[in-house]
Amino acid sequence: MNPDVLLSAIIFLPALGALLLAFLDSRAVVQIRAIALGFTVATFVLTLMLWGQFKYAEAGMQMLVVKEWIPTWNVYYRLGVDGISLPLVILTSFVTMLAAVASWSINKQHKGYFILFLLLETGMLGVFLSLDFFLFFVFWEVMLLPMYFLIGVWGGPRREYAAIKFFLYTLIGGVLMLIAMLMFYFNSGGTTDSFNLIELAKAASGTSTTLTTTLSPNLQITAFVLLFIGFAIKLPAFPFHTWLPDAHVEAPTPISMILAGVLLKLGGYGIIRVAFPLCPYGAYYAAYALVGIGVFSIIYGAFAALAQTDFKRLVAYSSVSHMGYVLIGLGVWKIGEATGKTINPDMWLMGINGAMFQMIAHGVSSAGMFFMVGVIYDRVHHRDLNKFGGLMGRMPLYSGLAAGLFFAGLGLPGLCGFIGEIFVVLSAWNYSPTLAIIAASGVILTAGYILWAMQRVYMGTEYKGPHSEDITPINGRELTVAGVLLAFAIILGVFPGILFDMMQSSTGALVDSMQLGYEKAAATLNELQAMR
Amino acid sequence: MVGETLQKLLMTAWLLPLLGFVVEIFFGFWSKNPRHSKAAAWTAVGCIGAGFLCSLTALVMWGTASNAFDDGDAEGWMSQQADINHARHPHHEADSSEGAPPHEHEGADHDAEHHGSSEAGADHILTAVATEDDGGPKLERGQTVYSGTIYTLGVFGSLELTLDYYIDSLTLVMFTMVTLIATCIHLFAIGYMSDELTDEYVDHFAHKADGSHVHRPGRFYRFFAFLSLFCFAMLGLVLAGNIFQVFIFWELVGICSFLLIGFYTERKTASDAANKAFIMNRIGDFGFLIGLMVLWTYFGTFRFGDTMVDNEVVDQGLFSMVHRAEDGNFDRDELTGDVLITGTDGHVLTNEDGSNRQIPYYLLVVVGLGIFAGCVGKSAQFPLQTWLPDAMEGPTPVSALVHSATMVAAGVYLAGRFFPMFVQEVLLTIAYTGCITLFLAATIAMVATDIKKVLAYSTISQLGYMMLGIGVFGWAAGLFHLITHAFFKSLMFLCSGSVIHGCHHEQEMPKMGGLLKKMPITAITMLIGVIAISGLAIPGVIAFSGYHSKDAIVASALAFKNANSAHFLLFFIPLLTAGITAFYMFRLWFYTFWGAPRDQHVHDHAHESPWIMTAPLLILSVFAAFCAVGGDHGYLYLLLTGDEPAHLEAGVTAVGDGITLPAIQDIVDEHTTAGTWALVAAVSGTLIAYILYGTNFVNVEEMKRQLAGVHGFLTNKWHFDELYDALFMRPAHKVAAFCAWFDGAVFDRILHGAAKATVVVSKWDRVFDENVVDGFVNLIASATQSVGTSLKVVQTGRLRQYVMFIVLGVVALFAVMFTTFPG
Repeated sequence: MNPDVLLSAIIFLPALGALLLAFLDSRAVVQIRAIALGFTVATFVLTLMLWGQFKYAEAGMQMLVVKEWIPTWNVYYRLGVDGISLPLVILTSFVTMLAAVASWSINKQHKGYFILFLLLETGMLGVFLSLDFFLFFVFWEVMLLPMYFLIGVWGGPRREYAAIKFFLYTLIGGVLMLIAMLMFYFNSGGTTDSFNLIELAKAASGTSTTLTTTLSPNLQITAFVLLFIGFAIKLPAFPFHTWLPDAHVEAPTPISMILAGVLLKLGGYGIIRVAFPLCPYGAYYAAYALVGIGVFSIIYGAFAALAQTDFKRLVAYSSVSHMGYVLIGLGVWKIGEATGKTINPDMWLMGINGAMFQMIAHGVSSAGMFFMVGVIYDRVHHRDLNKFGGLMGRMPLYSGLAAGLFFAGLGLPGLCGFIGEIFVVLSAWNYSPTLAIIAASGVILTAGYILWAMQRVYMGTEYKGPHSEDITPINGRELTVAGVLLAFAIILGVFPGILFDMMQSSTGALVDSMQLGYEKAAATLNELQAMR
Repeated sequence: MVGETLQKLLMTAWLLPLLGFVVEIFFGFWSKNPRHSKAAAWTAVGCIGAGFLCSLTALVMWGTASNAFDDGDAEGWMSQQADINHARHPHHEADSSEGAPPHEHEGADHDAEHHGSSEAGADHILTAVATEDDGGPKLERGQTVYSGTIYTLGVFGSLELTLDYYIDSLTLVMFTMVTLIATCIHLFAIGYMSDELTDEYVDHFAHKADGSHVHRPGRFYRFFAFLSLFCFAMLGLVLAGNIFQVFIFWELVGICSFLLIGFYTERKTASDAANKAFIMNRIGDFGFLIGLMVLWTYFGTFRFGDTMVDNEVVDQGLFSMVHRAEDGNFDRDELTGDVLITGTDGHVLTNEDGSNRQIPYYLLVVVGLGIFAGCVGKSAQFPLQTWLPDAMEGPTPVSALVHSATMVAAGVYLAGRFFPMFVQEVLLTIAYTGCITLFLAATIAMVATDIKKVLAYSTISQLGYMMLGIGVFGWAAGLFHLITHAFFKSLMFLCSGSVIHGCHHEQEMPKMGGLLKKMPITAITMLIGVIAISGLAIPGVIAFSGYHSKDAIVASALAFKNANSAHFLLFFIPLLTAGITAFYMFRLWFYTFWGAPRDQHVHDHAHESPWIMTAPLLILSVFAAFCAVGGDHGYLYLLLTGDEPAHLEAGVTAVGDGITLPAIQDIVDEHTTAGTWALVAAVSGTLIAYILYGTNFVNVEEMKRQLAGVHGFLTNKWHFDELYDALFMRPAHKVAAFCAWFDGAVFDRILHGAAKATVVVSKWDRVFDENVVDGFVNLIASATQSVGTSLKVVQTGRLRQYVMFIVLGVVALFAVMFTTFPG
């Protein structure tokens, strides 16, 4: 398919589905579900076509689409895909599709739910595919509203609280991003490329032909901090993470799957797509903080998970812990004081690849874990870890699949969680031995909270909670979702090359341009020094 | 070509169990009668049995290709080495006539001196990779390593993470041992687990809240699926050609162990034990990870050996990146003392800026200690030993396979595999860890009454011996003991399984006794195992496997003590423990099989196990007795040491006041002395056991009462569980609770505070809006209105009056203009 059409089709097909649903009778539940699922499947197929057309060897953006949108403000409709966004695009359409299957458990206001659900997908795909800062920001905010309503209307008892918390946190992040965006716009002269993420990145490394000026090194630091906080909220990293447990606990199962599977990745993607290339000097300046926050999130999240008695909250905190690895992998950029050159750039490259892999892997494993919690919640309507037990005997197939997915979260070799974590950890010693050791100690805590939770839920002589009579074996629909997720966890764990091959040109180019950017900024600073 | 064939054979042996696992775990889907069919078990047996045949073929093929065996008149290197080992002994001991050493060629022109010097030559590369045999020079001992890459996980610039294979004598012997023992245990398990072949299995050890037993469908096929998965992981660990790959399979055997310990998921004790095992292993793996990180950062590779393509090194491995000088120490930078990183030819590699590539010496210690920490966890060494006894919650075949013969020995295997990278400080740590462990576990084994627990502590103790052996530079001795121990300990575990099966799941020895007549095959095979582990022998006449291997360890320890007199405990404690070992093993045997029955009910129902269980016992007992025949010039030892690290031969000279590591000749010189002492210890232990438990001369209960303090301390396992609970578990939960509280109490409170403040501001804003802003607006409005009202008066409609106002206004304007803008 023509790339112009393909990229836009991927983004707007779900929205089209939402529009179609709006004309349907709200009582036609079966049709609504079928149409919504159909559109998510079609979107998934389109993203697979995108993968088919993707050229592995090319490092830069592919299938660029540029159309005028608001010419007076130099806002363009710019889309494109590279090795960093492609895996996330596929992950998004994949998780959304499975979440649509999981949405059968939604039992009120189906029409509204699926309309918002599809709009959410449009927003997420839009963020991953847009290359215009303004467009990126628009999609970022577009995503917010459907999510707010999905939690606030279809959520659990404290849904309003959770929804508002989620909304405000993300909105603050958005505002900080907006400030940074305007900083870039005005400091680069407000020309036609001043919202162009590719040119802004090139300007930062001094290779742009259209943008001659950009942020000074010191302003880069400010911009980076603004952007980083915005994205760290989404990631979420300590101390901006407290919206996550509440949002997860209250959100319905499929929304939790999307939240953990895709939305958290937007934070990591934002850092790697926007914050890093646009402010290479700021990124280096803050690298230690990044790694430090990552390490702290791992340990803190794991400890907090260990103390939870709510099954879903435990999984939510495990997300905080696991996303810490993403920050570490991105941040392990070490520059020799004397030479100004990166020490062992391959290690950093490995860290970035590990971080990207961790995002995808977490997307699969955490979506799976949340789904497994949802399956049992649908039956017994509680999540108290101390009131489960014996499910291995009652629901053997379900328990087996759940064990597989939880092992993926635990980072067991052969499953997806292992590769991301271990690659990041291995790359970390080069940066800071102390932080690397603390990060590595996470393996003990992770094993602790996951195995203990599994013991309380699946093992033991008998089920100890209410609604014991409602425990029925896993049904075909649930089996499909769980089976597919587990299969992907295994495939990614055994053949990580699938992802690494996809990413390596782009991540390599990122590392190179970041180094250039740092050298340019350092040269500028030296000049300033000399003038004084 | 040989390398490729070997790789294919071993990979077949490795992957077949994985295939078996996939078939078996979905057995419920393909079988019409999954709960009653033994097909899954036979699939598993078929896979591992075929694996054994592949391994054995590979072993023979490797030996033939590497010129190990005699070919007509031409002597292979095994015969030559047998002569060398034989000639090392100061005087021809009587035991040379015992067993069947491959060959006696007194006139062989390879003497020890000659061979030694060629082995330890400065240019000799540790992991010399085999050149292809066709047309090339004949391969000698130590040149028979094949390594290469199977699969690439990820490439980042110059960094490459791969799955490799590394095939040397150790790999092949381990493969054969693991597959052979696993096959026997699979067969045994078909009998042992047969009560799972039912739709309604009653678990008498799992009680519901109302006190009733758990009824559940049998899980026969699931058990064999897990066993197959374990075999896959274990063989992968042995085949691994890089340390990262070892870590991968390290974790996988760990999770298999978790699944098998927790096989009876309904029992709280089982799931607790499974968790404990996995988490304690993860503590070790944390150290392992640190070692990996340092290696990766400084060496940039995890491979053991060099990968050759057409006799060119394409990928250099770790072992050739550090070079040992003639005194056995690593080449170091003269100024900084850092260890130099070298190329395959021994020349120092350089960085991009031309400086030498090097790694600080202390980091090499960190690497060694880190990797060893992993071994401590896996091999249940002090201080991570507490999980293994609990792991006995798993079915007995699991204990035999996973928790005695193979997985727990993986730690020793890794210590042996990674030996070329260990520096003296690390070896000394290994030695002391092993020494503490072997004593600690043996003392607890003396008082344990559960038959499997005794064996479990005995396993820990024996693993300690192996570690000690490796630590005191008795590399061959430690690994030799690994193999012999695997045979006799798996035998004994299976015997205990047979007893437990025969006594209807009774594990407490005080309820047994007099079972010799009821189950003769079990009793006799067990006795063979007990003699083997105790190291009893009549030198020169007959000696079972354990005698040879334990002697070798004690001899290494004695040689080490001679070279480093401060570390005398490393010799005396193992010697003493050799006596304790004989004591507790014979105690077990007498307790179980000898004397009068202590519980008539148990005794009446006891019966010998069916052939499918006794046949493996018989097979294993033959190996337990005779696998090590000939000692250090027998087949097993020679095969095992075919590719031993080169610096063993001449030992390592101390640097400063460091540790001297004894040469092989030094160890051999002590063999007779050490062997005699060890035998004395073992015989004494046996006699004491016989007096206490085999006869009625002494009242054991009375002794127990008098030594209640010590006894209690030992039965409570030196209080390690309580200690760790207080030191780690409870603090961890406290910190966890704190983190969870912190989130709610601090972050959310700040957030809620901010939200409340916003609301207050908004309310104030409303008040301000309604009163001040609106008031002002209203004020203006009313003012305008009143002005309007008052002006209404002037709006008369009379023209003359209007003209009057205009004139007045204009005059006033002009007046203002002239006064404000003068000029």
